[in-house]
Amino acid sequence: MIPGKLVRFLEQHANVAFAGVRDRDLVPFGHRVSGWHVGPDHRTLTVLVPQDSPSRLLESLQHNGELAITLEEFPSHETYQFKGRYLRHRAAADGDFEIVERFRRRWVKSLRPLLPDGAEDALNGFFSPPSLAIDFEVLEIYLQTPGPGAGTRLVPPMER
Amino acid sequence: MPLTRLPSDIRPVLDNGTPAAMVTCSADGKPNATVISQVYYVDETHVALSFQFFSKTIRNVRENPRAFVTVFDIGGQAHWELELQFERSETEGPIFDAMDMQIEAIASMTGMSGIFKLRAADIYRVLSVHQVQHPAVTASP
Repeated sequence: MIPGKLVRFLEQHANVAFAGVRDRDLVPFGHRVSGWHVGPDHRTLTVLVPQDSPSRLLESLQHNGELAITLEEFPSHETYQFKGRYLRHRAAADGDFEIVERFRRRWVKSLRPLLPDGAEDALNGFFSPPSLAIDFEVLEIYLQTPGPGAGTRLVPPMER
Repeated sequence: MPLTRLPSDIRPVLDNGTPAAMVTCSADGKPNATVISQVYYVDETHVALSFQFFSKTIRNVRENPRAFVTVFDIGGQAHWELELQFERSETEGPIFDAMDMQIEAIASMTGMSGIFKLRAADIYRVLSVHQVQHPAVTASP
């Protein structure tokens, strides 16, 4: 179950994400993420990925189901990692493109004060249109904000 | 076609201080994704990554040395994908000193002074590198 505070972080604050998988030989592989949304049951996340290397991503997911995604709010660096199990995927649909557009605007707005004039086109290009929507069940959540607390497991809580 | 040596056009991207993303995998098969603050060019076949905290990434590469790093070239509308193999860790010397100075500069630019502290420079061999161009995007108003 994704706690309410983290649902709000995902829906209102996080503005950049990256997904990680591994193959049958335990070789890791990463993929850009263009958007995400929390499932209505607060147990699943849908990750929207652009058309970079979807075949390698899907091959790994269908082989072993292991998926990790790190989500950050830039420039505050508040960061969480969600780990879980692949459930299903589908081609990106109209609603997914609207979600990515929303994240693109959030990303550009958050970085605009840090960048010189004319850099917005480059920032817009950072969020590519989605190709696939991947659903996964969130099993673990870790704090990843830089600092000594990074790596603390939040869900399920660590035993004291 | 992936290269096995870092091309010269990746240097400015590595040197510009943009955060990168890294994926590792534990010996029991759990991937770990994280944002890293610096990918340091060592030579044509090696990069160094900063070891700042005793993290899952550090534990993973010591039990499974393979790593995957994506370096974002925001201005160039592209990213670089690097497949790496952990070789060794250095806690002193020219690479460590140069990374330490860069980390401090990045920390002060991003408001993280006193939080980023270099413990070691982890040296990785480059197994492959290739560039992925992003499609042109027209932002809606």
